Amino acid sequence: MNEQETPNTEPSRREFVIAAGTAAASTSVLGLAVLDAPAAEVQGGAAVPAVGPGGVQVAFTVNGQKVQVTVEPRVTLLDALRNYLDVTGCKRVCDRGTCGACTVMIDGKVIYACTMLAVEAQGKQIRTAESLIANEQLDRVPAAFVNADAQQCGFCTPGFVVAMKAVFEGNANPTPAQVEKGLQGNICRCGTYEQMRDAIYALCNQKRGK
Amino acid sequence: MPWPVNRRLIGRSHRRLDGPDKATGRAKYAFDVKRPRMIFAKILRSPHAHATIRSIDTAAAEKMPGFRALHIIKKAGADVFFAGDEILAIAADTEEKLDDCLRAVRIEFTVLPHYVKESESLRSPTNTAGGAGATNIVGVGDLATDNFAEVAFNGAAATHQGDYGIAVISHQCLESHGLVAEWDDKLQNLTVWASTQAVPATAERLRVVFGLQPGRVRCITNYMGGGFGSKFGPDIQGETAAHLARTARMPVKLMLDRAEEVTVGGIRPSAYGNVYIGAAPSGQIKFYKVDCYGTGGTSRGQTVNFGLLPYVYGPGIPNIKRKHRVVRTNIQISRAMRAPGHPQNAILTELAIDDLAAKLDKNPMEMRLINLPPNDSADAAANPRTFPGMRATIYRREIEIIRRMCNWDQNWHRPGAGQGTIRTGLGMALHTWGGGGNGPNPTRVTINANGTVLAQSSSQDLGTAQRTVTAIIVAEILGLQPSEIMVDIGDSSFGPSTGSGGSTTCPGTSASTLKAAETARDAFLMALAGRLNTQPAMLSIEPGVIVNRANNNQRIPFRQACGMLGVPSVQGNADWPTVPDRAQNAALREEWQTRLTNLGVGGVQVAEVKVDTETGVVRCSRFWAVQDCGMIINKLACESQVAGGVIMGINYALYEECIYDRATGRQVNPDMEFYKLGGIQDMPNIYVHMMDMPERGVIGIGEPPTIGTAAAVGNAVFNALGVRVPYAPYTPERVLAALANRR
Repeated sequence: MNEQETPNTEPSRREFVIAAGTAAASTSVLGLAVLDAPAAEVQGGAAVPAVGPGGVQVAFTVNGQKVQVTVEPRVTLLDALRNYLDVTGCKRVCDRGTCGACTVMIDGKVIYACTMLAVEAQGKQIRTAESLIANEQLDRVPAAFVNADAQQCGFCTPGFVVAMKAVFEGNANPTPAQVEKGLQGNICRCGTYEQMRDAIYALCNQKRGK
Repeated sequence: MPWPVNRRLIGRSHRRLDGPDKATGRAKYAFDVKRPRMIFAKILRSPHAHATIRSIDTAAAEKMPGFRALHIIKKAGADVFFAGDEILAIAADTEEKLDDCLRAVRIEFTVLPHYVKESESLRSPTNTAGGAGATNIVGVGDLATDNFAEVAFNGAAATHQGDYGIAVISHQCLESHGLVAEWDDKLQNLTVWASTQAVPATAERLRVVFGLQPGRVRCITNYMGGGFGSKFGPDIQGETAAHLARTARMPVKLMLDRAEEVTVGGIRPSAYGNVYIGAAPSGQIKFYKVDCYGTGGTSRGQTVNFGLLPYVYGPGIPNIKRKHRVVRTNIQISRAMRAPGHPQNAILTELAIDDLAAKLDKNPMEMRLINLPPNDSADAAANPRTFPGMRATIYRREIEIIRRMCNWDQNWHRPGAGQGTIRTGLGMALHTWGGGGNGPNPTRVTINANGTVLAQSSSQDLGTAQRTVTAIIVAEILGLQPSEIMVDIGDSSFGPSTGSGGSTTCPGTSASTLKAAETARDAFLMALAGRLNTQPAMLSIEPGVIVNRANNNQRIPFRQACGMLGVPSVQGNADWPTVPDRAQNAALREEWQTRLTNLGVGGVQVAEVKVDTETGVVRCSRFWAVQDCGMIINKLACESQVAGGVIMGINYALYEECIYDRATGRQVNPDMEFYKLGGIQDMPNIYVHMMDMPERGVIGIGEPPTIGTAAAVGNAVFNALGVRVPYAPYTPERVLAALANRR
């Protein structure tokens, strides 16, 4: 039931794709991909330079700081940040682009860091929740979360904070509904949405009609 | 009253002290811990729901680059009982190399029959779930009140019989289960950074597993990303990480991935039942009969709270007959989940009451007022502050409040009376929970000469703002602000503490925190009096200052007073009483368990839904919750807990279900895209009213607000449509099927 994998052969286009697929799509059932997930054969070749399977040097900027890291091409941006650079505000929860806990900004755009490979982030500007506090000065977005008590266990919170920050950076005067829409890609298990709405109305300078 | 009578801080709203750290990602959870030389571990699991392991071959894996250590959990010849059952684990240098190592393991199985659906397992002639028993059915409960068959049905003006049920769901903690394990050089001391609801218990379990001397295992949990009842020890994965760290002599991180978290991190059992219920013309319920079953996977425990069926109203219902069968299936074991058995009980009770009310053409709110469990007069006489003695009074007040909040009299209509494609409905449900505190919860409060104040205990913060609770109480006693109190929690080296289960943490810790703060205050004033050549009784604490009545009411700022102590610090230690003398113990228990803290709450919830009769989509549009919890410590965090419980209950009613494939026995949605949880736009505005009852002492609030929510939503759907959707989650498919059945 297993695809035989031989680790030390020449890197082929196919192996690169498999490796990248492993990282991006993660395992199917139970990590059972380990035992029996068939690797999909990918045909055709685009003009993509092949890298790996060994370590590749990648350089990008995290919260204003230039960093360099050597990772295998299959490593996601999220795992590069967390496991190799100790930037842990972005959390690994679903690891397949659903829950938003790993939300970061790349060149000003919000993305799920688990859906991007680290090698794709070459030269990019990455911002995480950690950038929203400096010299104990809290940015107004996380401050609104704190004031409204829009967090419980807090594991999803940095992702929500980044997503909300991105809404305000893209639109100085959004409506509360527009901000809510910007948060729909994030999931909170403790159920802090009601308090998030309080935070949203405060940031939109609107009184919440309740 | 042992709590301060005039409370400056307690009962008001306070921001959580660690809010900025959590919101900006500075807070380090177990999942975020990175130790020098740390490597990664992962467990290889069974792909089969029931099988015997024929052989395990790890030779190739052990030769892979980056391989560090192997730990066999189940040997060849052993059986596995669900898809996800642990077989072995490997530690390797990186997570990437680890995947390669695990892929190189060869395991052969002899596949055996399995059941993952309750209804099929119920009919199984064999035991596929392991352990004793000829079939998968265990834990049969079968009880009836005296002469049920002869007397129950006399005088019943209306009866109703119906099927109700709710599915197996997953805790879906966002931070998965797991820990980082690190041994010292001599392999005599183990430190773990764990995501746990029970810090000292996690350390103790590991100490026992490895046969270490007391004090040799330390568990640290500065922050943890959700537990909901599923994280009470190291579990197999935690023990495995410690084994691998010892073998590799390197720190090991083993946190479950999402698929593992959903498949082995805990489930809430299902409950399905046939209910037969009848009432007198007045609406007074005369009898309640239920035959129910459910599965908690391979667990043998009840899937409902059998003793509390029918729920809430039981003490007022004269004739009761109940039967419960636990149907084992080849899925993971169930774990406690936010009020074990209670949400299921609410489904099997509240839904039947609304169907009966409809037959009697009675308003469900009126029906509930008629059937409230009476105040227990004996209990009320013995202790006026306990819940049984005052439950009807509390519920009646809560119903009156919620009736005004949701404008029930205006907004409620007869079931199915609405018009148009989108139908609106209102539904309600009641709940109850214990939530009493206990010891040991030793707490230390230290006042330092430099003016800082430190409170320490080993208890943990599950997202309940536990640090802030501690700081509010200490600040109240010392005349300070919560932000001026440093709180160290989540470290087993601070001593024992009770696990955070059953809504017991706030009462369990706040009582000893109060006593420790008072003891520290007394030691502080004693030391200060010596320095001021006066008596402690001449000194008093006011906000920010110490007032010296022996010297013209001299007002000494707190920090300055600390500098005058002449010693580096003074301390106060306190814990729950464990006095051997029984008479004294009883008096102390009375103070601690009926004045400082207490047990038993009610609570009423109302849901408004909008149902699209063409698509079957149910949207919860507004929600109201009235909740009592004794003395409130932090109103803001209390309201957050209630709103969060409601959201968890709406997810339970509308979206969540662990779906298993009959053929393979595997869960098909061990993820977050097909295991549905609502986002912010899916959730209604929630209107919370807290009933502060400080005279009762502190009572926990974790579980109560999620218990009745799904039942309230179910009743709102019935009210909107005039037809019962029997089984939750109330998906479009089920709603359309129910509508089709009516036509």
